[in-house]
Parts: sequence; C-alpha cells; structure tokens
Amino acid sequence: MLKYLIVLLYIVVFVSLVSSDRTKDKIYENVVGNMCFRRLNSTHQTGCSSAGKSAGSVGVLHYIEKEEDINFIINDAPAPPYAPILKPKFFTRENILKLRDSKFVSAIILINDTSDMTHFSQESKCPNQFFRHINQPVCDVTKPETVWNPYGTGLLHENFDIPIIFLANKNESDKVVKCFKDFNTDLEGQAGKALCSIELFSFMSAAGNSEVCIRRSKFAGFLKQITYCDPLQGKNIYGTLFPRKIVDPENRTNDQSEKIILISARLDTTSMFDGIALGALDSLASVATLITSAHYLRKIVSNDVFEKNNVNVLFVLFNGESYDYIGSQRFVYDLKKKNAFPSPASYRKPLTMDNIIMMIDIGPLDGFDTLSIYSINGANGIANKFSASAQAYNEKFGLNVNITTRETMSLPPVSAQTFLRENSSFPAFVVAAKKPENKFYHSVFDDAGNLKYSYQNKSLDFDKLDVVQDTKEASVQNKIRNIATLLALGVYDILTDQKYTGEGIASSALVDEFLYCYLVATKCRLFDSIFVFNDDYRGSNYPPQRYISVQASLTLEATGWAYRVFGFVLSEKVDKDKENCTELPLYWIPGSLKNGECRLTTQNLSYAISPAFEEEGYNFKSNLYSTWTESTWTDLSARIFLRPSIAHESFTFLIGLFIMIISFLLVYFVKSKADILFSEVVNAEHESLPAQC
Amino acid sequence: MTVAEFFGCAFLAFGTPLAMFCFTISDSPIKIILLIFSSFLWLLALLISSFIWFIFIPLRDYLIFGVLVSVLIQEGFRYIVYKLLDKTSAGLEELAGNSLVTHNKPVLAYVSGLGFGIISGLFQSLNILADAGSGPGTVGLKSGSDFFFITSATFALCIVLLHTFWNVIFFNGIHHHNKINIIYVVLSHLIFSCITLLNSYQLYGLTLTLSIANVIITMLIAFKTVGGSVMKLKQCIACQ
Repeated sequence: MLKYLIVLLYIVVFVSLVSSDRTKDKIYENVVGNMCFRRLNSTHQTGCSSAGKSAGSVGVLHYIEKEEDINFIINDAPAPPYAPILKPKFFTRENILKLRDSKFVSAIILINDTSDMTHFSQESKCPNQFFRHINQPVCDVTKPETVWNPYGTGLLHENFDIPIIFLANKNESDKVVKCFKDFNTDLEGQAGKALCSIELFSFMSAAGNSEVCIRRSKFAGFLKQITYCDPLQGKNIYGTLFPRKIVDPENRTNDQSEKIILISARLDTTSMFDGIALGALDSLASVATLITSAHYLRKIVSNDVFEKNNVNVLFVLFNGESYDYIGSQRFVYDLKKKNAFPSPASYRKPLTMDNIIMMIDIGPLDGFDTLSIYSINGANGIANKFSASAQAYNEKFGLNVNITTRETMSLPPVSAQTFLRENSSFPAFVVAAKKPENKFYHSVFDDAGNLKYSYQNKSLDFDKLDVVQDTKEASVQNKIRNIATLLALGVYDILTDQKYTGEGIASSALVDEFLYCYLVATKCRLFDSIFVFNDDYRGSNYPPQRYISVQASLTLEATGWAYRVFGFVLSEKVDKDKENCTELPLYWIPGSLKNGECRLTTQNLSYAISPAFEEEGYNFKSNLYSTWTESTWTDLSARIFLRPSIAHESFTFLIGLFIMIISFLLVYFVKSKADILFSEVVNAEHESLPAQC
Repeated sequence: MTVAEFFGCAFLAFGTPLAMFCFTISDSPIKIILLIFSSFLWLLALLISSFIWFIFIPLRDYLIFGVLVSVLIQEGFRYIVYKLLDKTSAGLEELAGNSLVTHNKPVLAYVSGLGFGIISGLFQSLNILADAGSGPGTVGLKSGSDFFFITSATFALCIVLLHTFWNVIFFNGIHHHNKINIIYVVLSHLIFSCITLLNSYQLYGLTLTLSIANVIITMLIAFKTVGGSVMKLKQCIACQ
C-alpha cells in the first residue's frame, strides 16, 4: 500500500513541476507601470478609467517626439485608436485635454524620460481652493499672490474616460518605445500591417460622485456587500512635548487652564499615479522640519517649565490634507465636540479649541533660504513676537535664513486654513517659503532629486544636537535643520519666557536619516534604532507610501513609522530595564547607539476621516467637509502585443471558410460516387447494386 | 487571437472533418460509436506516451524523444484497434444489424482512422484555440510570424486527414499481410512528426509544403489500396 502511495506522490510531484508554455505568452508581454485611477468628491469624478470591465482599452502605440506627432494621431489617424507615448515635456494641459477629447485616442502612456522637462505638476494652481478660510481671496491666475502652485495643470482634477499609465521603470518604457519603433514607424502603411498595441486594464467601479457611489454601495448588496468606493481615510499622529497626566476615562473633563501651542505639518502627499508619490519637497521636508524641531525642543526644555507655566506643545502630523484637509477637519471637528480629542482610550483629558493659545503650521518650505510668517492681522501679535525671536536666533547662530512677516488674507493652502475657516480670529500663523517654487508639486517627480537631497550617511549619533560651528555647509539637511532650529527657538521663548543660552542647535544627522527612510528605503538606520524588529526583517528597500489611501483598519506604513518617530523624538529616557518597559507610555527602543533605552512616550493616533462620512444624513452639497472617496477596482495592468491588420484577419477568416466550403462539396461528391470510386472492395451484397451514374 | 482569426482557424482545421462526419459518419450510430471508441484509444496512447516521457527524466528536454515514442505508441494502438475490431466483429454486427459497416474493412478503417485524427487534431490545436478569448493580439511580438495560427490550423487539418488515410492503408496491410503498407504508415507518420519539429525554426513554407505533399501521397496510396484508380476517377468525373 505504502509503495503505491509513494508512486502516486512521485507522479504528483512531477506533474506539479512541469509547466507549459501557452500561446498567450507568445502573444502578450506585460508592462509594469503606475496607473491613474478614479477619485470622487461631492460633485465630480476625477482621474481615469479604462473602457470596459472585462476587455481593457486597446490602442496602437505612437511615440510622440514632437508636437506635430500629436496632430498626426488626432487628425490623420490611419489605424485608430491610438495610445500615444509621451515624455513629461509633452504632458501639458493643452496636449492632454486635446488627446482626451479626440475619438482616435484610447489610452495615454507617460514615460520616465525627463529630458527637457522644466516643470511637472498635475495639481490645480490653487490646491484645496474650495476649503479655504472665509477671507482668503479667490484664486486668480492674474494675481500671483493668490496662486500657490503656479506650475499646476489641474489635470489631477479632470475626468478621463481613458486610462493613463506612468512607466517609471526605464526597462518598461524602453519596451514600449522599442515596440513602436519595430512595428509602427511606417506611418503610411499602418492600415495594412500588424501594429504594436497596448491594452490597459484599469476599470473603475465608481461613477458620478461620492454621494451617489456611497448610496449605491449601501443598497447594492442584499446578500453580499458590494463596495464601489471608499472614503479616503487614515490617521493623524500627535504627541506632546511634555507628558500629559493620565486620567480615568470616566473622569475626563476639559481643563481650561491647560494651554497648548499647536505645531503642525502635513503627513500625506499625492500624485496622479497609483503607488508613486514621494512628495519630497511639497510636504516631506516640512514633516522633517517638524520632527527635528520637536526633537530639538525636547532636548533643550526641561519638565520644570511645564510645571511652572502649564503650557504644553502639541505636535500634529495631519493626514489627508492634500484632499481638502481631511485630517485637520476631523481634528477641529473632534475639538469642537469637546470630548473627542484625544479619544477616551488615550486616558488623557479632552481638549477644545480654547485650549490652543497659538498654532504654528509648517507649510511648503521650497527653497529653505526664506521663511515667511503668514498670518491674518498678525494673529493677535504672536506672529511678530515669534518672528522677532526667530530673527534674533537667526543672527545669533548665523543661520542665513531670510525671515519676513506677511500679514495677509492669502495664506498658503495648509491645515491652518481649516482652523481659520472655523474661527477667523484663531491665533494661527503659517511658516512657509516666501513664494512657491516647487515645480513638481504633487507629482511623481517630486523626489529626492527635486529636494536636492543625497544621503550623507555621516554615521553620527543623530540623537545628539549639532553645534553652531557646523552650520556652514549648504546641504538640504543643514537648511532644514536651520529652519527647525528657528522654529523651535521661536517657540522656546514663548514657552519659557526666557532666552535660549545654549550652544546646541537642531540635529542635521536626524534630518539626514529621516529623509533617507522616507525617500529611499524603510530599511534604514533611524527606523532600526526606534523599533525592535522581531526577526531578520529590517524593513523594505522601498520608501513608505504616503498617499492617504482608504485603509480603515490598517495603519499605513508611513503613518506607523511617523508614529514611532514621534515616540523617539517626543520622549524622555527613563531608567528602567527592558522587562519593566513593556506597557505604554513606556516603550523600549534600540536607541541611536543600539544600547537599548526605555522611553516615556507621549504620541498617539487620531482618526483622519472626514466628518462627512461619520455624520448621519450629512448634506453632500453643503461643502462643509471633504468628501473625497476612491473608486474600487479589480485589476490594474497593462500588456503589449501585435494587433493584426484587418487584411490579415479577413484573410485568415476567409481561407478557413473557403476550405470548409470546398470540403463539404468535395466530401459530398466523393460520398455520392463512392460506389464507382471504390467498387472493387465492396462485398457481395454491395456488388448487386447497380452503378449509379 | 482575435475572434475572426479564431473562426478562420477553427474552420480551416475542422471544416473538412466536420464535412466528413456529416456525410459519412452521422448516418449510422455504430459508426459514431466506433469513432468515439478509437478516439478514446488514441487518448490512451497519448497517456502512455506522456508517462514514458515523464519517466525518462534526462531525455525530457529532447522533444525528438517524445515524438518518436509517441509515434510508435500510436502505431501500436492502431494495431490494437485493428485487433479489437477483428475480435468483436461478430458482436458488432449483431449490435449494428448492418453488415455493410462491420463487414466492410475499409469503412471500419476509415471510421476509426477519422476518430484517431479528430482527437489528435483537437489536441494539437487546443493550445491555440484555448487562448481564443484571451484578447485582441496576434503572434509576432517577440518572435513568431503572422502565419503562426494559419500554419497550426493547417497542420491540424493534415493530421486529421493523415490519420484517416494511414488507418485505411494500415488495416489493409495487416489484412493482406502486406508489410510494405505497414512500414509506409509508420515511416510517413515519423516523417510528418519530425517535420513539425522544424516549425520552431519558422520554416513554415518548407514544412507546410512537405506535409501537404505527404498528405497527398498518402491519400493516393490509400485510394489505391481500396481499389481506386485513375480510370475510375475519370469515369466518375465523366458521369457528372
């Protein structure tokens, strides 16, 4: 019996080892890229979708080398539909809308060939313009001070009924360009030839607007839940400079004597294409600034200060700010509820808007050489006070930052807008670059290169502060450190009512390590120092995804790591060994020197989902809250192949048909004459039949 | 493969067998049973061939080995079919109640040969026709020619016809102890299979010409073995 079993096993193993080539593999070659997908708000659908659920959008590849090539497709079109291959240089609003509206174009391919590219931003010229604070001037292209993304094309907010794919990998873009050059270059003869084509699958199930698609999702499933779209949602991360008192959830009452200085930045970013959005300059640099100044402030301020003044600093990274300020809207909504932030599960007293005595919002810092302090009417004088302190330290340490104050109604599109929208006299100001200079705002090219960042890897202890002497080198790490220093020291003066007399400034090594983790790979020194990995895994070779996405239950990698970084920079060492350091807020980390440290942490997460999806019967037309949702899809993929010419197809079909008809006639003929043709073989009975001519 | 190509290839490969089935097989249930029976035996032959191919691991990568084994086993099964039909002819006659079929050796040979051919042709073209719904592309992107599908379909048609003719010649050879006929069938089968190996070099013109020549020669021999002659052909056309 056992013998048979072994034989059977032997056979099964062999069967599973053998794989066969299918003809399909001879015909198609997959192309790996990042697809544009659909998002919806209360009035519109934006982004792209392929034509059908089962069949993708098919188009003949056409490499655009000059502007006239676009006209060739749109006007002459010998073998439509086409899928033009564009360099970023040609990805302009005018060209793309022309292609979108042409009936001869079925897909658009963007390749990663940055030659001659001067700027590339698909975000609108005025990001989040419909959720600006009440006095913000209307965005007007003729008034530069109201335009916060001058290079924007606004294509991110257009609707495309054709798919668009970005081929980031050079191998992939070479593949399609080569295929075009091998098969499609004979423009005159295109109609009669097999042409290299692409098929893109990116069918989006949601349509219309968020309200419609959420209603459909609710009622569609009787026996099973069908989801057409999901609200954009994630988590905000917050942490306080000083630990707040732990209270019983039942005795949580707001304490008006508690004063909070709120420092915030935007955690998320976005781009037109799925899975590729680093947002280095548009927001990551600001996050790095916040992290570094939090770290610096924690190092230079002692806990006695808190006991004396009862002023705490709350650092918040808002999520989903790229989509009409989801995170900050939810934050304000929770503050207004008076007992929702921090959540009862945090064992801390709730806060309200009135607890916040000032808010500093870190906006885009573009050049890092200028720092403007934007406020409405000076934010009750605190903007000037802050600016004066920052200027004094700027001179003291020779940081070479050009600081200006701007009292204006036109603030950059940052989280402070949400607070001012709620209360126009809210004491908020924004620190940002003097004027917007990011040429790749919210795009796939806003990467380390755009930030001019290269990893220095100085192997310094990043938990230590820099000293004034090493301020000179003009690397982006030092520039961010300088801004972080000014920001922290400006707050220091207000917090302590004293002048900072120390020599240390913020840590550029921390900036270096932080940016590496978020721009290059999560397998990095900083993350390895702040988190105890369980096994050999030490992070991936990719940076974490910072687009907010739709994860409700899972915390995305970027958020999770930011949470742990907060746990590192906003915590103090306590003298406990590993065994006694297991329960939050105590947290054991390897530490920058890998000696192991027990930290008393203050950080936590709060929801970043728009109140629009939480409130019963929210009126989607009211424009109160962000309503962005993301469509669901089943497949995002692309493949290239040869599309046979009509002539070839008809030839194959006709030859088959011809042979069949001939066969029928011939077989009928032979059958009817069988008696004559095969007369010799027939048997006795058969012979008696007369020949029938 | 596009829809038009699919139908073109399907018509090309199976149009003739369909016509043969309609006019010559479908009139008698016993013929249909015989057809299915021989198809089943061909499948058994394939199964055994693949087992042998599996077992000889070092030779697995040599396609020629598999081809030779398969051809010989198929021919062995052709003999088995003959023997089975011979042994069961009395029972068959009872079942059929029509001695026209069961006593007529060439008809038996023709029907079981067509069974061999149809199943063999199906297997050959399965790989291609199965991907019919896979989308709008045709062969030729990386390698391969535009004519891949047509060539494959033509080969499928050839194998259907050849199996039919071979069976007629083979049965006749055994019946009349004519060794030359049997040797011719095995050789012709080997040659045909080996020619298809050249397809990987994309010498479609050459392989197609040789194969079609093989089909025509085999057809003429088969015609002759069942008593056909040029005179009869002329007579037949003249009667028209």
